[in-house]
Amino acid sequence: MKFKAYLTDNGVNLLEKRFLPALDKMGKICHLYLTREYVIFLHNLLNGDGIQSIAQFRKEALFDDYRISSQNDDRIAFAIDISLLHRAVRSSVSICSEFGNGPTANRLQIKLVKKLPLNCTQSMPFLTFETKGYKSAVIQDVPISKPMSRGQVLELQTALDMAQDLPQTLVQVPDLNQLQNFVDRMKNVGDLLNVSISKYGDLHVQIFTTLITLGAEYRKLFVIGEQANAPAEDQNLSAQTRSTRAISRGDAQSVQVSVKHFAKSLQYHLAKPDCTFYGIAPQGACLTVIFQFFIPGSRQTDKSISLHCRLPVLDPGTS
Amino acid sequence: MSSSAVDAEAPDLVCQLDNVQGLVDAFTAVRWKRHQDAVIELSEHGIVLIVEESGCLQAKVYLQREVFIRYEYSAQARPRFGVSLGIFVDSLNTFSVPGRLSIVEIKYPGPDMQLLLKSVDSLDACIYAEIRTRIPETISWDYNFEPAGSSPLSFTVKSAALKEAIDDLEWPGSSVQISLEPSPPSVTFKGEGHGDLQVDFMYYANTDLLISFHCDRPVSYRYKYKFLRATTSNIPSSVIRENRGSKLTIGRGGMLKVQHLVSVARPSTSHPHIDSAGYQQLSRIAFIEFFVKPEEDTTDD
Repeated sequence: MKFKAYLTDNGVNLLEKRFLPALDKMGKICHLYLTREYVIFLHNLLNGDGIQSIAQFRKEALFDDYRISSQNDDRIAFAIDISLLHRAVRSSVSICSEFGNGPTANRLQIKLVKKLPLNCTQSMPFLTFETKGYKSAVIQDVPISKPMSRGQVLELQTALDMAQDLPQTLVQVPDLNQLQNFVDRMKNVGDLLNVSISKYGDLHVQIFTTLITLGAEYRKLFVIGEQANAPAEDQNLSAQTRSTRAISRGDAQSVQVSVKHFAKSLQYHLAKPDCTFYGIAPQGACLTVIFQFFIPGSRQTDKSISLHCRLPVLDPGTS
Repeated sequence: MSSSAVDAEAPDLVCQLDNVQGLVDAFTAVRWKRHQDAVIELSEHGIVLIVEESGCLQAKVYLQREVFIRYEYSAQARPRFGVSLGIFVDSLNTFSVPGRLSIVEIKYPGPDMQLLLKSVDSLDACIYAEIRTRIPETISWDYNFEPAGSSPLSFTVKSAALKEAIDDLEWPGSSVQISLEPSPPSVTFKGEGHGDLQVDFMYYANTDLLISFHCDRPVSYRYKYKFLRATTSNIPSSVIRENRGSKLTIGRGGMLKVQHLVSVARPSTSHPHIDSAGYQQLSRIAFIEFFVKPEEDTTDD
């Protein structure tokens, strides 16, 4: 089992400034799954509760000189502490920029090693960062779990395949910061959030407790997938009536999720996505959030990066 | 004149406000614990919110109708209802968007006697809240504040200094004695509990802290620390920043009145020099009053 690659400048930028801070918010520990073509960060795919998050990069988006080999079809997966990984990348960057003369002068190498730590009798696996400075080299070892067995990797791959189903209707949230600001304040009022999404481009979130009903409705959002024209007679109704009618017409779906999960999913604004879409998976299986990234300086989707998360539905009976 | 059908349709109050954060600040100032019941009273002059604790502490927030950009009152008698202060403040807070002016409409009653809030500044995005109201409990104790004599016993101190003094008195805890001396004119806060601590405001020595002072005879009363603390513990940062001054008055029987002013004006980014704007800003102040009963064993006169 071997893995060795050099982080590119762009890769360092993506990880250090954007993705690792965002992924860290999703959960301290994640699985890092490496294949011949992809580098994938996975949260909560194997244990049922919590937000499932999948951040997938084509190897070229992060690395050059990418070499991987294993007896399991060149796939390697292990658990890693995101905050330690982030720290290692950050300090490697500072060493590079301290001594570096241009992008190729100092290369940041990452490899999988087994080492005998101090005061230990058994060697342990690490992801090692090696930075060559002007006269010195700095090596940082980030501890990782024992690489997953063939069976565990298969299980992970199966879970990953299962998490790819797309909602029929996706609506684009225009202002992620504003929604996050609202949901963060909403957290004080209740724990359960009803989310309904219609083919007309309406996103309606609502907390309902014995003391208060608090909600927000965003209308005329950009829709991807199945869409319909909003009936004119619904224009002047209250948000609640409007979404009830849309659901009964079969033009909208509604699910209940944890407010905390919803707020957490909004933390992905740290990764600076260019577009954010919300949708409800078929049969109300989960609330899916899809983030899109543009190729810098264009409005074209960067296909080498994909990020989405799936929020568990708490009470499918109400949908 | 008016038919009952019309009465049933027109709500008692519809008002709009363009500075939600100011309102949140004002209500937060009287929120000294997590779960608190408040009584709201509506009238043609404005809205009053009242909270009370164990017959010893009462706070009122006065929002005059000038605070609102629209105020339509159409009730006959003054409607009163109870709400959970925490729920009210937390839901109002969701309407506040940092760095943006957000207009909120407050309406009472809803179809099920709810208090209704709604954002009205955007057509395609709307935040709304329906807060369950209760039949208010009668206030257990009469907080009629009467002057202690012919001349007032009062002083005005910079709000930040008052808060600092009360915060400092935390470690002795238990009770705090407030004494006013006419000569030399001074105010003393003395905490007794696990040890004692004294904070003096000398009128002549601390002219920048003690803004005004009226006292013709020495008085001294003791107040429970936790009630005294409630009067400044959640004082909004805007009040501390503006540092206008808080007025403390001792009334008959040692009843202490603490008054703060909270600006509910639109955050002024432009034209601070225009007179009419300045005039408008002046009238858009929420008045906050706390009434604290003294401890029984007063060392009076």
